[in-house]
Formats: sequence, C-alpha cells, structure tokens
Amino acid sequence: MIRFEHVTKVYDQKSRPALDDIDVEINRGDFAFLVGASGSGKSTFIRLVLREDQASRGSVHVAGQNVAGIPNWRVPRMRRGIGVVFQDFRLLPNKDVFSNVAFAMQVIGKGRASIRSTVPEVLKTVGLEDKKRRMPHELSGGEQQRVAIARAIVNQPGILLADEPTGNLDPATSVGIMNILDKINQNGTTVVMATHDTDIVNSMRRRVIELDEGKLVRDEQAGEYTAMIPIVNRDGSRELRTADPRDQAIAPFDTEEDEA
Amino acid sequence: MRLAFILGEIGSGLRRNLSMVISVVLVTFISLTFVGAAALTQMQITQMKGFWYDKVEVAIFLCGDDYGSQTCADGAVTDSQRSAIKSQLDSAAVKPYVESYEYESQDQALEHFREQFKNSPIVDTVTADQLPESFRVKMVDPEKYDVINELFTPMKGVDTVIDQRDLLEKIFSVMNVASLVAVGIAVVMIFCAVLLVATTIRLSAFSRRRETGIMRLVGASKAVIQLPFVLEGVIAALIGAVLASGTLWAVVKYLIQGKLAIEYPDTAFIATNEVFLVAPGLLALGIVLAGVSSVLTLRRYLKV
Ligand SMILES: Nc1ncnc2c1ncn2[C@@H]1O[C@H](COP(=O)(O)OP(=O)(O)OP(=O)(O)O)[C@@H](O)[C@H]1O
Ligand SMILES: [Mg+2]
Repeated sequence: MIRFEHVTKVYDQKSRPALDDIDVEINRGDFAFLVGASGSGKSTFIRLVLREDQASRGSVHVAGQNVAGIPNWRVPRMRRGIGVVFQDFRLLPNKDVFSNVAFAMQVIGKGRASIRSTVPEVLKTVGLEDKKRRMPHELSGGEQQRVAIARAIVNQPGILLADEPTGNLDPATSVGIMNILDKINQNGTTVVMATHDTDIVNSMRRRVIELDEGKLVRDEQAGEYTAMIPIVNRDGSRELRTADPRDQAIAPFDTEEDEA
Repeated sequence: MRLAFILGEIGSGLRRNLSMVISVVLVTFISLTFVGAAALTQMQITQMKGFWYDKVEVAIFLCGDDYGSQTCADGAVTDSQRSAIKSQLDSAAVKPYVESYEYESQDQALEHFREQFKNSPIVDTVTADQLPESFRVKMVDPEKYDVINELFTPMKGVDTVIDQRDLLEKIFSVMNVASLVAVGIAVVMIFCAVLLVATTIRLSAFSRRRETGIMRLVGASKAVIQLPFVLEGVIAALIGAVLASGTLWAVVKYLIQGKLAIEYPDTAFIATNEVFLVAPGLLALGIVLAGVSSVLTLRRYLKV
C-alpha cells in the first residue's frame, strides 16, 4: 500500500537529511507505528506519503502509484484515498460535529443524500452519535480527536495516517482513540501512526518502524517501543541502554514478503 | 449540491471580510464610473460632431466702423464692396464649393444673438450696430474652407473669414482633455482596485486557511478550493460595476436629458441608450479585473 524505495528527503542542504535512504513497505491492512525521537523524520515520512512534499531521491509509491509521477491536478484525487489525523485535531471551530465531518464529503462533491446517510454511521464508529450538534469547543480533547478521525475516514480511504494523534491526550483517553484506530484497521484500512507514546506501542503489539535522525533503525512485527532498554548489570546497578537489533526477540521484518 | 456549498462558502467569506469587500466595491465603483464617464464623453463628442458638422457654416464678416483689420481701413463696408463679395460668391471659381449662402444684416445678427442668449443679461446691453453683418456660407465640403478663406480675406470690406468648425474643435478639444483626465483618474483607480482585490483575497485566504488546509487534505480539487475566493472578488467588483452603471445612468437621465437637453434644445446630447452600450463593458471590465487579480494572488498565497 505504501512503499518507500531508498527515499532521501533533504529540506536544507546544510543540515542532515530529514529522511536518509529509507526503504520500507507497508502492506494493505497493516497497522504500523512510526516511532523515533523528535526530529527523527516521522512527520516528514507522512508528508511524503501525502505528496505534500516530494522525495529528494528515491521514490514513494502509494496504492501502487509512484507519487512523483502523478500530475499536480491529479494529486487531490490521490489524496481522497488517504485520511489524515493530527495532534492538533484541526477542526473548523464555527461548524458543529456533523458539519465538520460532512465538510470532507461536501468539498469533494458528494451529494446531500449520501452525506446524510454516511456521516451518522461514521460518527457511530467513533462513538459520537449523540453529540453531532455540539460545537468543537464544547467537546473534550478526546472527543475532538474522534471527530477528526471521523472526518478522515468518512470518504472511506484505504490508508489512514495519524501524526501523534494522542499527543495532546491523557492515557485513558488515548486508549479510546487507539481502540477506534484498531477498529478502523480491522475494517481493512491501512493505518500508519507516528507516536512518542511508549505505552501505546507496547500494549498494541503491532508493527514498529523506528527512525533515528532520518535513518531506519528498526522494523519489526509486534514490536515494542524499546528505544531505551532497562538493563540490570551484574553488580546489581541499573541503566538504560539504546536498543540494539541484537536485543530483538523477533526477527526483523522481511521486506520481500509482499508486493503491493 | 456543490453549487449550494460553494455559494455558502462565498457568503461566509463575504461576511467575514465585510469591510474589505465594501472597499473593493467602492473602489471599483469609482474607477468604473470614471471609465464610463470617459466613454460617454467620447460618445457625446461623436454625437455633437454628427449633429453640428452639417450645420456649421463659414462666416464672412464684413467691416463696420472703426474695425482694426487692414481691409477695413476705409471704414464700414460700402454697397459696391458688398455686391462685389456677393458676385465673387456666385462666380465660377467659388460656386462649386458653395452649397448655399445667406446674407445676415446687423438687425438679423442681433435677432439671432438675442435668441441664442435669451437667458443672459448681456442681451440688453448689445445693440445692432455692435454686431457685424456677414455672409453665411454653407460649404459642399467643409474641409475646403481654405479656398474661401484665401479668396475673401484679402477683399476690401471683409473683416475676417471664420470657420465655425474651429469653434467646435475648441469645444471638442476641451471635452477630449476632460475625457483624458477621466481616463487618467480611472487608470489610477483601477490600479488601486486591482491591489485592493489582491489584498482582500490574501486576507480572505489567510482567514480561511484552516478550511483550505482541510480541503487540501481530504482531496478537494483546485477549482473547489479557489472558486469561492475568485467569486468573492468578482462579486464585489460586479457590485461596484453595477453601482457605476447606475450612477452614469442617473447622471445622463436626470442631469443631461433632464436639464441640459431642455436648456439647450439646439444641441444633441447622449441619452440613456448610450449608457446601456457602456454598462456591459463596465461589468465585463470589473469581472476581468477582479478575476485576473484574484487568480494571480491565489497562485502565490493559496497552496493547492
Ligand atoms: N519544512 C521544513 N523545512 C526545513 N526543515 C524541516 C522542515 N520540516 C522538517 N524539517 C526538519 O526535518 C527533520 C525531521 O522533521 P520531522 O518533522 O519529520 O520530525 P518528527 O519526527 O516528526 O519530529 P516530532 O516528533 O517532533 O514531530 C527535523 O530536523 C526538522 O528540523
Ligand atoms: Mg512530527
């Protein structure tokens, strides 16, 4: 569904590349976490998938298409196949819940009838069927993020990208969000989620792709966020050590396994 | 559906930027009023030319007592001089150029003068012997004025030969200057209008960056994203153009037709028909101005 082939992204010639020779494939129906320290290139990865930016070297394939080959006027159509959620929700403050979700259908020319039938269904998926007339400022952060998710999936995209969707939420609320993303994934949508949240990564046990200063340093199925591993030394002292591929219990993900 | 949605977006955009939109309306209103005024002045000139050019005559003024010119050194015109001039007008050399001519005595001159200036107090101070007698020559081809001028100016008893077209040309050149001034003001105002539309669209794009950002992410096409902005500018300019057309119509209807045409029944004036000729041009100009400047602005300030 998403394939990066030796992708390097350089924003600024003087500094190191934001992404450095990334070679990775995320298959249809996958749920992948994108982890790494701040500045490691997670958001850049997501921007490249959306073709908000183009790779400096290498190629990005989305749904079997090289995004560099898509003419500008076709980019909107390609984006209709991708839903996006951000840390800051990005709801329209002057529209209620229903209208915020309906907006995504209106702007791509969907008819009134299909909006009236689809939006309530999607709001039910995210558990907001009772709050469709609320304004965004009348909702909690978790509820706002659920509206944002509803908006991202209302056009039934094959891919859902989430850039730190739980970044502004407390752990309990985050669990609710993760359950929704999991449900969406179980309905067949490929989910890629960039996150810092170790607890979430550890509890979900899904694929983990770790970036460090733009380099791919780990890619494992059912991984943990083990950037730092607690070690008990022989003398009984404890310390944190950076993850090492040798520590991995499960073999690294085999990229030759599928073809999109 | 999509149309209703776009109209809703335009409506909210217009409301959100009301003060800017009003200024766009006013600036296009004023600039297009000047454009229209210039066009109508030109039409008025054409109208007057058509009306006057086949009425104008060459006037051969005859000498009175104590006229300054050389040919009048011997005092007022004598009967023999007058008949010499008359026979010159009938001669084979002049005849082909002359359609008709008429003699106007001092008394007739006074009568015409009184009629022309009947509303003015100077009428009472002028007497017949202050006005020169003249021959009024109607030319076959008014361009051939020089022939008459060369033949008659040196004759004894002729004071001057005047082509009335010269007087008209003076009026027309004043009107031409006025319309050029109007065009000049219009150009400056149009420049303001273009800049103002650009600024308004920029502000509008900025205040709606959330919406456009989301539109982009969910895959709205460029047209759907940009159209509300372009139409916002175009609608504001269109309102300005309608106001300009309405103002010109009112001026022509109530000032020119309602006042001038009644006061000067001998002159041709433009009517509201001419305004209806100019108005579509003003509307088109408004649309093009706003459309072009908003598209150019959006290309820079609205990422799609
Ligand atoms: N538009 C840009 N122009 C220049 N440099 C950029 C731009 N966007 C990102 N970068 C740089 O690219 C690198 C990766 O940034 P990116 O936003 O992808 O990191 P991230 O992993 O999402 O970080 P965070 O966890 O803090 O969101 C950083 O060094 C950043 O400074
Ligand atoms: Mg980021």
